[in-house]
Amino acid sequence: MGFWEQLASNLVFGILLGSVYGLATMGLSLIFGVLRIVNVGHGAFLMIGAYAAFWLFTLFGLSPIASIFMALAVGLALGFITFYSVIKRLIGAPELSTLLATFGIGLFIEELAKLVWGPDYRGYSWDTPYISLGISAISFSKIYALLASIVIAFLLFMWFKKTKLGMAVRAVVEDKEGAMVCGIDVTRIYALSFALGIALTVASGVLITLFVPVGINPYMGGEYTLKAFVIAVLGGLTSPWGAFYAGFIFGLLENGSYTLLGLIPDVEPFSLTRFIAFTTLLIILLIKPTGLLGGEEM
Amino acid sequence: MRWILLLSILVVALFAGCAQQAEKPKATPAETPAETPAQTPAEKPKPEVVTVVIGAPLSLSGKYAKEGQMSLWGVKAAEKWINEIYGGIKVGNKVYKIEVKYYDDESKKENIPSLVERLITSDKANFLLAPYSSGLTLAGAPIADKYGVIYMSHGGASDRIFEQGYQYVVQTLSPASKYQTAFLDMVKELDPDAKKVAMIYEDNEFAKAVFAGAREHAEKLGLEVVFDKTYPKNPTDLTPILSEMAAKEPDVVIGGGHFADGQLLAQQMAELKINVKAISILVAPALPSFYEALGTKAEGIAAPAQWEIGAAYSPDAAKELGIDWFGPTQDEFLKLFKQFAGSDKQPSYHAAEAAAAILAYAKAIEKAESIDSDAVRNAMNDLDFMTFFGRWKIDPETGKQIGHDMVVIQWQGGEKKIIWPPSAATSKPYYPIPTWEEKDQGKLAVPE
Amino acid sequence: MRGVHTLLIIYAILLIVGLTVPGMWQPVAFLMFYVALGQAFNIFLGLTGYVDFGYVAFLALGSYGMAIAMDSLYQTGLGAAILPIGLLLAALMSIMLSLAVGAVALRLRGAYFAIATIGVNEGFRYLIEGARLWGGSEGIIITGAMRKIFGREMANFISTMVADVLVFGIGLLAALTTYVIIHKRMGYALMAIREDEDAARVMGINVTKYKIMAFITSAFFAGLIGASAWTLKMTYVFPSDVFLITYTVEAIVIVMLGGAGTLLGPVVGGITYGLLKYYLSVILPGFQLLILAPLLVAIVVAFPEGIVGYLKERVRGTRFEGYIL
Repeated sequence: MGFWEQLASNLVFGILLGSVYGLATMGLSLIFGVLRIVNVGHGAFLMIGAYAAFWLFTLFGLSPIASIFMALAVGLALGFITFYSVIKRLIGAPELSTLLATFGIGLFIEELAKLVWGPDYRGYSWDTPYISLGISAISFSKIYALLASIVIAFLLFMWFKKTKLGMAVRAVVEDKEGAMVCGIDVTRIYALSFALGIALTVASGVLITLFVPVGINPYMGGEYTLKAFVIAVLGGLTSPWGAFYAGFIFGLLENGSYTLLGLIPDVEPFSLTRFIAFTTLLIILLIKPTGLLGGEEM
Repeated sequence: MRWILLLSILVVALFAGCAQQAEKPKATPAETPAETPAQTPAEKPKPEVVTVVIGAPLSLSGKYAKEGQMSLWGVKAAEKWINEIYGGIKVGNKVYKIEVKYYDDESKKENIPSLVERLITSDKANFLLAPYSSGLTLAGAPIADKYGVIYMSHGGASDRIFEQGYQYVVQTLSPASKYQTAFLDMVKELDPDAKKVAMIYEDNEFAKAVFAGAREHAEKLGLEVVFDKTYPKNPTDLTPILSEMAAKEPDVVIGGGHFADGQLLAQQMAELKINVKAISILVAPALPSFYEALGTKAEGIAAPAQWEIGAAYSPDAAKELGIDWFGPTQDEFLKLFKQFAGSDKQPSYHAAEAAAAILAYAKAIEKAESIDSDAVRNAMNDLDFMTFFGRWKIDPETGKQIGHDMVVIQWQGGEKKIIWPPSAATSKPYYPIPTWEEKDQGKLAVPE
Repeated sequence: MRGVHTLLIIYAILLIVGLTVPGMWQPVAFLMFYVALGQAFNIFLGLTGYVDFGYVAFLALGSYGMAIAMDSLYQTGLGAAILPIGLLLAALMSIMLSLAVGAVALRLRGAYFAIATIGVNEGFRYLIEGARLWGGSEGIIITGAMRKIFGREMANFISTMVADVLVFGIGLLAALTTYVIIHKRMGYALMAIREDEDAARVMGINVTKYKIMAFITSAFFAGLIGASAWTLKMTYVFPSDVFLITYTVEAIVIVMLGGAGTLLGPVVGGITYGLLKYYLSVILPGFQLLILAPLLVAIVVAFPEGIVGYLKERVRGTRFEGYIL
């Protein structure tokens, strides 16, 4: 397989992976966009989703696609609990408080998961057909992940544009005082947005297991948190739609740059892809802090 | 609200302080000063019983939590065997009983020095187990060396630890450079046509040491390393590097690093349908969770292991080699292990190597007829014996393990079998392994 | 000045406990690491209110500075002079990074700044690993080099004593620096920036200058801490061990627990945090994080101004006022 074929196949995988990355970041951007809180404990919620998919499949044989709905429900509940117990008291607090609090929440969830489920690395085998690409192959579960992620993003989009509640959220983002005057209960909108953001994150945890059904463990979220930060910034940090598109860009960037970096002798190209990713993050923050796709709000 | 919180913090801190006070006398009962500061006479009925404290910082949380948990159970099993089944270490008119004192180091380096010093000074540890991993082992070594306490590595595989000139650091497990060599020997023996080796592994200190050793060994065997690439910690997708590797059409693949990435490597090779004649992955396949996670996709996948259930190390095997046997037989160890871990748990090699480290201390005390650090360390130089974990012999100069051999395991029909070296094997190697398509059809890698 | 007295008394108590009670030196050193880390970070985080999530990168570069000096100079026969050279290199490297980051990232605010600094930290780590810089992912082990330079006894003494004393000194120096800054023009300027940066700018305060000054000072101390508490003490540097964001979080916790921007805060925070962590790992091995995490959240919610900040409020107007700073 020549260089170009490899590049092409990597880009295809990059798009598939990017769809999951995108959804995994939408929750982060939604929460920041509405509440101005960076959820540093992001990865822990994602991990809950991965475990949900694993347990539902292992115990009840539930297909991971169905688990997405369960995950959304679990995520909503978890989001409301977290909001009313902690986050509510931190609205408008300095970054120091919110960053630390969300980190603490994430840590607590991880340790609790370790206590309940143990430190084992788990996984499940959901057999799906695959498409052969000559020397490699794409399994259908990855395509399901892509489709599911697009559907969820689209439904969310419609919800924001068409429903009253969705419009209320947008109103709060645009003008908090104005919304209050119009009789919108701002705290409730915050609660809903936070819960929705967490639900999306938990659901994306399920999708991640569709992509990689192994290596599920209490500390798996950390890597995704870091990636989500980069992607969120690419997408403008405040916009879930921006984040969704940016996921694709990041997937392409990650996989594409691997092939190009492989041309440099005496380096570890895969490790360098992460260097490239974080450098991109810095450049965008400095040149265009509103994100690659412009300051598109929700 | 605020006062309640402040109060509760105070209570926790106080409780912490009190518990610390309360346990101190327990750990250091009626010290006998000067010459034998560490000998602590226990209860009266047997006046000559002396407790030997072995201190162990274990990683019970953080990134080595899994290994740490296994180590703890292994250590407990060995402790129980020495004290109850063996009846303590009898030297002259004294009987030494082992007490293992452990703390959680959270898999973090800055916790190590204070915990090690606490073990030595406050708990009067006579000997130490090093923490898991090479980095943490290095972090505690200066303190152990300062106090002149032997510091036995049961999870620090790096060869570099033993190039630093420490006198009190000793190794129980095989060093990193030996991890993949036995597998390559096996391939060479089974299939003279297999020439092309691909290496794909984690970019970290341990894996790099393993694969530097593997590369050297492969070239010595006349194999060609056609692919040698790393991936960073916690990869989420290996497809780019795997498809690049597939293009080189290797005969065998060796790779891996830790648990999650090892599972990912196997999973994605399966998804991309990259078929090779044999695969050996570091660390991950040695745990039952590997097969639980991957199902039949795990069939035929091999891994290096410091030890595995069924390893043919027995008193008879020791006699054949003309060396001593010490410690529980494998069945005894399994029984003891389950008393601590629960009946549904199987020990991994992390449990066995930690147990072996404790047994090696007991054996060395027996030989030295003393629990003085220098005497025991000297005795270790001449020690050559076998436990259920395998042979134990160190290089007197560096303390590096040279007696122990690694085994190669392979998943066959849902069970981990030892396939190499032939002297330790519990099953024949299945070679070449079934293709992914065959495995999807339900084919198992069970040799007739 | 009475605030400084309180500080010196706490330091003296720590020192006396560590030196006189057998077996307490390492636990005290463990606390001192956290106190020093808090003091160094407080100069930037506490005084400016900017959250540098990638702060650990300065410690990491400092530890590399010392390791590089040891590793490349041990055959030159410079002997003990390598130690100050290493410290100098450590300080230099962390200052250079702080200049680079400060010049570009300090233009950002709030969450954007926090994320940018994470990017710097992670990016640097993968540059070292990917480009095989300074030993790449295999890092640098300097145990052997130290033993060749100083001999076994002295090398152990450096790792188990000198390194800790250095951390002690760095912590003290950072605290005194904080004291000086608070009472100088710079302190008032930083306070204004923390309250309202735009207003401060309008008032004619050279915002950029003061922010960068605080940033560099803070990074300088971080580099020295990395060189002594990590390289000299642990005798090795692996990139996967030193670029861990967990350390930044610990530093934030300490500063916040004690009280951001106060002189005594990091000392109180560092000791409280260290003691909790140490005794929990001794008493409940494996469960300490499960207890620490909710405690952390509760503190953020109920004591956003920290222990010292809270006490400061309580003693205002009483005769204790001057002792709490």
